[in-house]
Amino acid sequence: MHLISSPELEQFRAQCRDWLAGNVPRGLRPLEGAALRDYDLAWQRCQYDGGWAGISWPKEYGGRGASVLEQLIWHEEYARAGAPPSASMFVALSHAGPTLIVSGSEAQKQRHLPTILRGEENWCQGFSEPGAGSDLASLKCRATIDGDHLVVNGTKIWTTYAELAVWQELLVRTDPDLPRHKGISWVICDMRSPGIEVRPIKAMSGLTHFAQCFYDDVRIPLTNVVGEINGGWKVAMTTLGFERGTGTIAHQIELAKGVERLIAMARAMPGGCDEAIMADLAVLKSEVMALRSLTVSSVSRGMREVVPGPEGNVVALYFSELSRRVNGFAFELLGASALERDGVHDWSLHYFESFKWGIGGGTNEIRRNAIAERMLGLPKGPSARDMAR
Amino acid sequence: MMIDLALSDDQRMIEDGVRDFLQDRLPVERLREAKNHGGAAERTLWQELSGLGLFGLGSAEQDGGLGLGLAEEALAARALGLVLGSPIALAQLAAPHFATDAALRAALVAGTARAAFANYLGDGLAHLIDGGDAQHVLLLSPEGAMLLPRSALGEAQVAAGMDETVTLARVSAPTDLTSRCTAADRTSLLISAYLTGIAQAVTTMAVDYAKTREQFGQPIGAFQAIKHQCADMASRAAAAEAQCFYTAVGFGNGLDDASEIAAARMLATRAAIDNAKSNIQIHGGMGFTAECDAHLFLKRAHLMTLLGTSRAAERQRLLGLGA
Repeated sequence: MHLISSPELEQFRAQCRDWLAGNVPRGLRPLEGAALRDYDLAWQRCQYDGGWAGISWPKEYGGRGASVLEQLIWHEEYARAGAPPSASMFVALSHAGPTLIVSGSEAQKQRHLPTILRGEENWCQGFSEPGAGSDLASLKCRATIDGDHLVVNGTKIWTTYAELAVWQELLVRTDPDLPRHKGISWVICDMRSPGIEVRPIKAMSGLTHFAQCFYDDVRIPLTNVVGEINGGWKVAMTTLGFERGTGTIAHQIELAKGVERLIAMARAMPGGCDEAIMADLAVLKSEVMALRSLTVSSVSRGMREVVPGPEGNVVALYFSELSRRVNGFAFELLGASALERDGVHDWSLHYFESFKWGIGGGTNEIRRNAIAERMLGLPKGPSARDMAR
Repeated sequence: MMIDLALSDDQRMIEDGVRDFLQDRLPVERLREAKNHGGAAERTLWQELSGLGLFGLGSAEQDGGLGLGLAEEALAARALGLVLGSPIALAQLAAPHFATDAALRAALVAGTARAAFANYLGDGLAHLIDGGDAQHVLLLSPEGAMLLPRSALGEAQVAAGMDETVTLARVSAPTDLTSRCTAADRTSLLISAYLTGIAQAVTTMAVDYAKTREQFGQPIGAFQAIKHQCADMASRAAAAEAQCFYTAVGFGNGLDDASEIAAARMLATRAAIDNAKSNIQIHGGMGFTAECDAHLFLKRAHLMTLLGTSRAAERQRLLGLGA
C-alpha cells in the first residue's frame, strides 16, 4: 500500500483531460432510437481519430493498450469531463471485441475489430432466453448444421439495442445430446439476416432500450463460429466478468456527484437541514467513498493478476445496491415535486433505471452466490455443481 | 493522486508477523478465563509486544520507532481487532503521536511508559478502559483528544461493564479538551482498523461454522439464506477495509482527511456491529449462549465504536458541517 506518484501518469492524465476538454460532444444526447446510435458511433469515431479508441485493447488490434492504472485515469477523466456513456457501443467495446481478441480467428479479428474501433458497426448480445436467465446454460435456441451454414431457430431476450446493432454475439445450442455446458456454440450473427424479428420491450423507466429477438431459419456461415463448435460456453466464460470494476467508474462518479447534489439540496431546504435526512445522506456519502476505495482495491489487484478473481462481484454488488438507494432516496427527498417528470434533474428516470444494475449481467443473488462459493468457499449450489460435471 | 492498496512485501511481513503472534499468544479463547480480562493477558506479554516493534510502527526512528506510516499502524490495529486485543494495546500504538516530549515519546514506543484510553462521558466524568497500572491516559471525546498523566484524572471507581472482558472504571476528567489534532484523527482511524478486524474475524467464524454445522443432511452454508448473509458480511468487511486503508495511505497528502476518516469510522462501525450480529444469528442457539465467543465480538464492537465519538460528530465531519 503506497501513494503512486509518477510523472508519466500525471502527464497521461493531463493528456486525457486536454483531449476530452476539446472533444467531448456538447449537444444533448438523444435518449433512444437511431439518433442515439448515430450519436454514439460519431463519438466513437472521434475517439478513434484522437487515438483514444479501445483504451484497454492491445495495440496490435488498434487499441490504446493502456495499463490498468491508465485505464482508471482515463475513466475518471472521462466521467469528470461529462463524456457520454458508451451505451450502444458497450457490447462491442467491452464484450464482443475482447472475446474476439481472446478466442476469435485471425479472419474474424481482421473483419470486426477495426470496424468496432472506428465506430462503423456496433454489437448487441444474444445470451439470455425467456427460460434461461440466471441459469444461462439451460439455453435452448437451436442451431443445426446445414452444409457450410448454421440454421438458427428460437428466441433471445433482454437484448439491449437489438434493433440498432449490426452484429450480435449469439449463444446457440448446437448439440442437445451433449451435457448442457458442452453443446453450446458462440457465433457472430448478422442482425440484417433474413428471418430475424426484433420486438422492442419498454422498460419500467419508459425507455425502450432492449428487445426480444426471434430467429426463424436464420442462416449463419460456419466461419462465424468463434472457437470450436460446441465449445461456446468456454468462449463465453473466458470474457464474462473480464471486468475489474473500471467499467462502472463513470457511473460511480456520476453517483458521487448525485450525492453531493442531494447534500446541497438538503442544506438549502426551507427550515434548514433535517437531522434524519442528513443522517441518511451521511451514510450514502460514506458508501460512495467506500465504493471508490473498493474500486481502487480492485484496480490494485488488477495490476498484479492476469485473470480477475471473484472479488469483482463485491464491487458490482456494492455498486448496484448503492445506485438504487441513492436514486431512491433522491426521489423520496424531492417529495411531491418528484411526481412530475422533466424537472431540473430527472431523478425519476435515474431511480427507475437504477433497478437494472442488480439484475442485468448477473443478478445480485447470483453475485452473492459467487462471493460465498468462490471467495468464502461455502458449498457449491446448483449452478456451480453443474459446472464441475 | 493515486493509491495502490496491494500490500508490499514488507507490509505483508508486518501483517503476517503481528497477526500470527497475536493469534498464537492471545487467541480469542483466552477471554473465556476471567484472569485474562482487563488487559491482563496483554500486560503479561507486554515486553514481547514491544519487542515486535508494535508500539513504534509509525513513530520516527529517533524515538525508537520503525519510521513507517499510518497504513502499517492500521495493519497492526486490524490484527488486534481480529483477536479482540485489549484497548490498551491500541492506546499504546496511538499515544506516541500525542507526546510533545521526546523522552516520553521514546518511553511510549518502548512500552516502558504505559497508556490506556479514557472515554469522556460529559460532566467531568470519563471511563478509564483497562487502566490497570497505566501512567498515562489518552482521553478521547468527540471534541478532541489529549494525552494526560494518569494523576490528572481522579481515583478509579470500577463499574460493571457491558463488555465483561474489559475493566471499566469511572474517573473524573478535565472538561477543557483541546481541539481536534492530527493525532486524534490518527487514533480514530486506528479504531476503525480495529473494527474492520472484528468485521473480518466474525465473517471467518460464521463461514467456518456454516461449513461444518449440518441440518437437513447438509452443511447450513449450502442454503442461500445463510450463504447470502455470509456474502453480505464479506462485502461489508471489504468495503470498510478498503476505505480504512485508502484513508490511511492518503493521510496528510491532500485528501479531505476529516471526511475520509469519518467515512472510514462509520463504515467500520456498521461492518463490525452488523457482522457481529449476523455471526450470532448464523450460530443459532449456540450463538446466543455465553459459551460461544460470538457475543464477545458484538460487545467489543459496541465498546470500540463509542470511543471518542458520536454519530452526530462523525456525520458533521463527513458532511463538513462545521466543527
